[in-house]
Amino acid sequence: MVELNRMPEPMRSHLVKLPCPSFNSQPWVPGKPLASRRISLISTAGLQRRGDRPFEGMTGDYRVISGEIKARDLVMTHISTNFDRTGFQQDWNIVFPLDRLRELEVEGIIGSVAVYHYSFMGATDPAEMESAARNLAALLKGDGVDGALLVPV
Amino acid sequence: MGALAHYLESEGIPTTQISLIREHTETIRPPRALWVSFELGRPLGAPGNPALQRRVLMAALQLLDAPEGPLLVDFPEEAPEDALDDDRGLEGWSCPVSFAPEMRQETDLERLRSAFNREVAELLPWYDLNLERHDRTAVVEFSPDAASELLGSFAAGEQPVMTKADLSLSTALRLAAQDLKSFYFEAVTARPGSAAPSSGEFSRWFWQETTAGRILKAVKERCLKETDKSLRKTGALLLIPLDQT
Repeated sequence: MVELNRMPEPMRSHLVKLPCPSFNSQPWVPGKPLASRRISLISTAGLQRRGDRPFEGMTGDYRVISGEIKARDLVMTHISTNFDRTGFQQDWNIVFPLDRLRELEVEGIIGSVAVYHYSFMGATDPAEMESAARNLAALLKGDGVDGALLVPV
Repeated sequence: MGALAHYLESEGIPTTQISLIREHTETIRPPRALWVSFELGRPLGAPGNPALQRRVLMAALQLLDAPEGPLLVDFPEEAPEDALDDDRGLEGWSCPVSFAPEMRQETDLERLRSAFNREVAELLPWYDLNLERHDRTAVVEFSPDAASELLGSFAAGEQPVMTKADLSLSTALRLAAQDLKSFYFEAVTARPGSAAPSSGEFSRWFWQETTAGRILKAVKERCLKETDKSLRKTGALLLIPLDQT
């Protein structure tokens, strides 16, 4: 579905033009087996707690989402109109698979679920996200996270 | 998405990710990525399909156990709804609600607005029922009444009354437009005899068959004529999907 060459215009050109950097280095951090890792979800769906500030523009900021959050309290304020939201309306796990992650924790497939999860707004120029992302790494370490699952929208 | 993974991994956090646009991921080369063939907005596959969601999640997480990278792996399954869309062919999902079809060509904004208000009033009880049943709504800032008032008055050329002091007019219009669309989806799927449409079916119905779609197009037209830059940008990019303009 989302192979660019199979996508109709004008969406194809829109996606081709999104800022997309390439890097000279390929960082790689080894780690423990999955069954002992602590996992945090990092979404770019423009998710926020109900009552938190809506996303307003491409500024690279993020929102904090407690692992205790309930589906009714998680909302989406991504500025783009060019992706489906009806899936999220029916089932939040389609973009924020916290229920599935909890199941894997109970079954011992992952070590644990982090206390905090985060959401950026995708389609933002990655350069705008860099300093926030580097600060976020310290917060993840503070939470004991050694596996971040990044989920686009 | 891939760039975020690059920054986090550079700071010592092992990352894995889902990729929706393979070409972007090939350029960025994040440490570990699972490409899925699902539509934008549905990275875990399909709503209400925990088994598929789990397989996607497992496939992405298992990349953390790989000894070296960068890795870009393709998830082998397609979403079941893509197949459903093909089966239904051109007939598509049929909405149990038929709104004033004569309004589709109506250009008089006041008449359009009256029809819009009737449409909202007709859907409202179903939205309330859905909220009661599921205890969840995707509506964020603007109740159906508040969204239709703001968007209807702006479309009709009036000076809109701002009820949210902390939001700029352009942000308020964008959020109200999203909330209106969320309200329509939740209301129309709560009506008896209406299974949930696919995303494409809902989008086609909302933009081509409802007065709400017409009103949002009128909001866009007015935004494009405003002097305020953020209103013009909102009108140009943030109200109507590219495939519906």
